[in-house]
Amino acid sequence: MADLSKLDMEFPAYTFTIEKDKVIEFAIAVSQKENKEQINPIYYDEEVARKAGYRGIPVPPTFPTCSFFWTGGGLIGTVKALGIDLSRLLHREEEYEYLGNIYVGDVITRKMKVIDMSKKVSRNKVVEVTILETELINQLGELVLKNHTKLMEIGT
Amino acid sequence: MALNYDDIEVGDKMPVYTSAPITRTHLVRYAGASGDFNPLHHDQTFVKTIGMKNVIAHGMLIMGIAGEAVTSWIENKYLRKINARFLSMTEPVDLDDIENTKNRATIIVSGEVVKKFEENGEKRIQCDIIAQDALGSKKLSGFFIAALP
Repeated sequence: MADLSKLDMEFPAYTFTIEKDKVIEFAIAVSQKENKEQINPIYYDEEVARKAGYRGIPVPPTFPTCSFFWTGGGLIGTVKALGIDLSRLLHREEEYEYLGNIYVGDVITRKMKVIDMSKKVSRNKVVEVTILETELINQLGELVLKNHTKLMEIGT
Repeated sequence: MALNYDDIEVGDKMPVYTSAPITRTHLVRYAGASGDFNPLHHDQTFVKTIGMKNVIAHGMLIMGIAGEAVTSWIENKYLRKINARFLSMTEPVDLDDIENTKNRATIIVSGEVVKKFEENGEKRIQCDIIAQDALGSKKLSGFFIAALP
């Protein structure tokens, strides 16, 4: 059962660097390719990216999800902190709002907090919802991304 | 391919994108790339303990494929928002029974422009998106917003 007292909880801020090889690895994974020569060159060739109008090598649209898994003990540590039972966890909804751009080499600070926690009964099952809000801020202090993650636990 | 705001009308369809059948190797690659090591997505012995037959794909891999579909049409730099609600689980293809399992593991992403509007001094479009498998089962529905020149 999610621990409803965790509403408004803020996770410790976490700072990480956008590494080129991780961006390439991610772009290969979501395009189901085998090597970087098969992916969009904006994700590995800075010159191509600049010609296409980017300040540097950008990241794929859902790459910011990594920030959730790379800190706080990853998925397991984060769900434990929220009192969520991993074996009943469902990912219900994800939204990214791009307020700026994220490029390879950027140093990003992640802030994440619990903005909603609720419990209701639906079809005789207890359904618990946790919504996390994540903000990514770059080394210039710009808020570049806002992200909402809705997690659900289905009771028995 | 330069796409302009004036080239797009409400009702226009996004080009349909069809994934490769998702294999367990794709799941492991995505796990490593994203850091999502929920054993639900790679450990057959774990899924048995929660009463499931097979590992399932990460919802975020399906959304990642949808992101790839979108950015195959609209350049990454023009995206302003992307949203996905996850609707059902996706089992990977069984390599010892490809014919009977490849359709459940093949993701088809489609979309339709539903709105053109101005916001923050930009010309924006909203396009609803759906990802479903080749059997017609819906995996996610959502939308994206892009600002176009």
